[in-house]
Amino acid sequence: MDEQHSAQLSTSRRRLIQGAGVGAGAVVALGAGFAGGRASADGADVPMTDDGVLVDLNASHAFYTGSHQAGIETPQQRHTVFMTFDLTTTSTQDLQRLLAQWSAGIAQLQAGLPVGSVQPASPVGVPADTGEAYGLGPASLTVTVGLGPGVFDDRFGLADKKPKLLADLPRLPSDRLRPELTGGDLSLQACADDPQVAYHAVRVLARLGRGIVNTRWTVLGFGRASAGKGQATPRNLMGFKDGTRNVKEPADIEKFVWLDDGDDQAWMTGGTYLVARKIEMNIEIWDSSNITSQEQVFGRTKAVGAPLSGKHEFDTPDFTEQAGGKPVIPATSHVALAAAENNDGVRILRRGYNYTDGINELGQLDAGLLFLAYVNDPDHFIQLQTKLGSSDRLNEYISHIGSGIFAVPPAPRKGHYLAEEIFG
Amino acid sequence: MSTASRKAAVSLVAALALASLAACGSSNDASDAGSGGAAPKTKNGVSQVSVTMASGAGGDACKVSTASVPAGPVTFAIKNESATGLTEVELLQDQKIVGEKENLAPGLPATSLTLTLGGGDYQVYCPGASAELTAFKVTGHASAQPTGSAGSLLAQGATQYGSYVTTQVQAMVAAVQKLQQDVDAGNLQAAQKQYGEARPFYEKIESDVDGFVLPGFTPTDNRGNLDYLIDMRASNLDPAVGWHGFHAVERDLFQGQRITAKTKKLAAELTTNVQKLAQLSKTLTYQPEDLANGAAGLLEEVQSNKISGEEENYSHIDLVDFAGNVEGAQQAFAHLQPGLKALDASLTDTISQRFDTVTTMLDTYRDPSQIGGYQRYTAELKRTDANKLSQTVQALQDSLAHLAEKVATA
Repeated sequence: MDEQHSAQLSTSRRRLIQGAGVGAGAVVALGAGFAGGRASADGADVPMTDDGVLVDLNASHAFYTGSHQAGIETPQQRHTVFMTFDLTTTSTQDLQRLLAQWSAGIAQLQAGLPVGSVQPASPVGVPADTGEAYGLGPASLTVTVGLGPGVFDDRFGLADKKPKLLADLPRLPSDRLRPELTGGDLSLQACADDPQVAYHAVRVLARLGRGIVNTRWTVLGFGRASAGKGQATPRNLMGFKDGTRNVKEPADIEKFVWLDDGDDQAWMTGGTYLVARKIEMNIEIWDSSNITSQEQVFGRTKAVGAPLSGKHEFDTPDFTEQAGGKPVIPATSHVALAAAENNDGVRILRRGYNYTDGINELGQLDAGLLFLAYVNDPDHFIQLQTKLGSSDRLNEYISHIGSGIFAVPPAPRKGHYLAEEIFG
Repeated sequence: MSTASRKAAVSLVAALALASLAACGSSNDASDAGSGGAAPKTKNGVSQVSVTMASGAGGDACKVSTASVPAGPVTFAIKNESATGLTEVELLQDQKIVGEKENLAPGLPATSLTLTLGGGDYQVYCPGASAELTAFKVTGHASAQPTGSAGSLLAQGATQYGSYVTTQVQAMVAAVQKLQQDVDAGNLQAAQKQYGEARPFYEKIESDVDGFVLPGFTPTDNRGNLDYLIDMRASNLDPAVGWHGFHAVERDLFQGQRITAKTKKLAAELTTNVQKLAQLSKTLTYQPEDLANGAAGLLEEVQSNKISGEEENYSHIDLVDFAGNVEGAQQAFAHLQPGLKALDASLTDTISQRFDTVTTMLDTYRDPSQIGGYQRYTAELKRTDANKLSQTVQALQDSLAHLAEKVATA
């Protein structure tokens, strides 16, 4: 670890932040100011996170890959801004232009470059780029674009290009969806290791879209609540590890996430579907429940995250194990209901984030999980959520209040733009 | 995107505004056409030039197919193949924009720009490219009307706009006098109705007339600030000066629902101040930038005070003011439109369409039975409709924000 650390210090152009965005590093920064936070990052006593990772704010992801969009299989960044939009135009050309401009803009943003001038030379010039990320690194930014069912309705004449499985989600058990947090014709998922970089990306792209799209709903996610390959499992706001059994291996991602040639519309090959849910948690009620009932709800231990049938986090849960005539992992626990072995092998790639909206009208903490799942068949989510919504013990503490479904096209090659083929 | 050349363009604008509208008087022989590069192609007598944007090892490049064309009509076919950092191309002559194309994202179909050019030295300007300026020569003299009269059209529009302001000010004086009569007569219903009739005039021209300070007062003394005395809301009162003007009258008519001696005094005072405003507004002159900034300023008013429902806190005729602000902005834009069209047809179209979108939306709120002719902006209406109103206006405001820069370079 020391060797890795000094290697990073020797590259002076790299800017590093200590891994835990809301952990010890943030406390140092608060106590000693920004310079103090930096000094600690340059010093020899940087506290490591439990996954031992320092974040490189100069890391970047390419946009014009001609392969899958970034921000799905990409190692999950620490922050997100997710926003959906309604198309207010009825001009197919406007939509086409917007997707082209967003593509070019995202390529710039992911490279850490401003989209147009921050400081116009003309005294009456309006800055094209809003500037709040100027001088910040790319921070591993990815912006992932989704197309909602509305893109293919009768407004734009694109019905024959509609992805086969793109349809509004049916009403699911326990849904308490609020119309103002539901739907959207387009979605942007901006993820980065610096929250300001993610916010800037969505702000600039929303501005590029003005007159063509209106904003619909948004969630600011401040911490990972899912892990990708090689990442330590983070915790959701209930304090439990989330995503221990996430889809991580490339072969599994191939099987459960990407659309292959012939699966769907040709232009969706290499694409996928995104299901987004805003899930509110009743934080105070949860916090007052005892450890045993919390663990029975999840089917895992709190500190270690081991299945109640095992000792270690990655032990395979044994749903048959009995104690006192009852399953050790309750049949209505979250892990039992969601497990692939109890759902005909169905798995979904989760890329969730914890969010907070401050304090609600009752003075309670307003917070929860922005659930983002990538699937090559939205029915996989429907199947799981139908089951969870009907009998999950967790339902006592959560409500699904927002929802959206989007087709996520593959990334364009250089000189092209997202979903270009639908305008053929 | 910002560059030294762009800076130069701006600082030279004033000096060049009247000079060299178009270099049409040159007597160069057309035979030296093509001396600067590949021979230009022509099609039906129109020179064809392609501008290609692509990214490579040296950054984003902007390539112009030929360095010289003969005077006359020229079509530029512009295609962004892969340069993500480039979004626009301008043709400059003596630092002035002769024509331009925007929104050039990679992958979009090629777009074309046809201009009739007089002989002279031009530059193709691609902001953000590794080489931003490419020399472009037009030989001979123009065979048709030269371009470049945008500046004079804009100046002409600005002058004409002055008479629009005068008309509104005169109408405001008459409407406020009528309001005073209704108040003096103690006719609450008539006064309420007339309040709604008098309000829009100020809202249409507010950005032109909100800077007057009466003679003998310092700018920080609100006793001499006409905008304060005419249009101040309860939320921004200066305790040293107290409440005067439209909204103090509004409070009595709509909250108190009673005309008192104090209301009469306020109405009389309003008439006097509006008359002073009418007198002072005769001294105003307008530059094209004033119209551009004024239009943007009126829409800011909509966003900051009308959609919040703060402006007409008692009468709830915020949508009447809203429509007034929009009309004022649209008039300022309309007076710039002929010149602007020559300068940047696509921006002109965009703004024009967005004005249409906003006015079409506003039409849905018309209600002749209500004071001022629009639905009352109640808490309920605000809850359901403020989002739509705000986002629709924002789209217009964003595009209008670029107007001042455009007209300044004409």
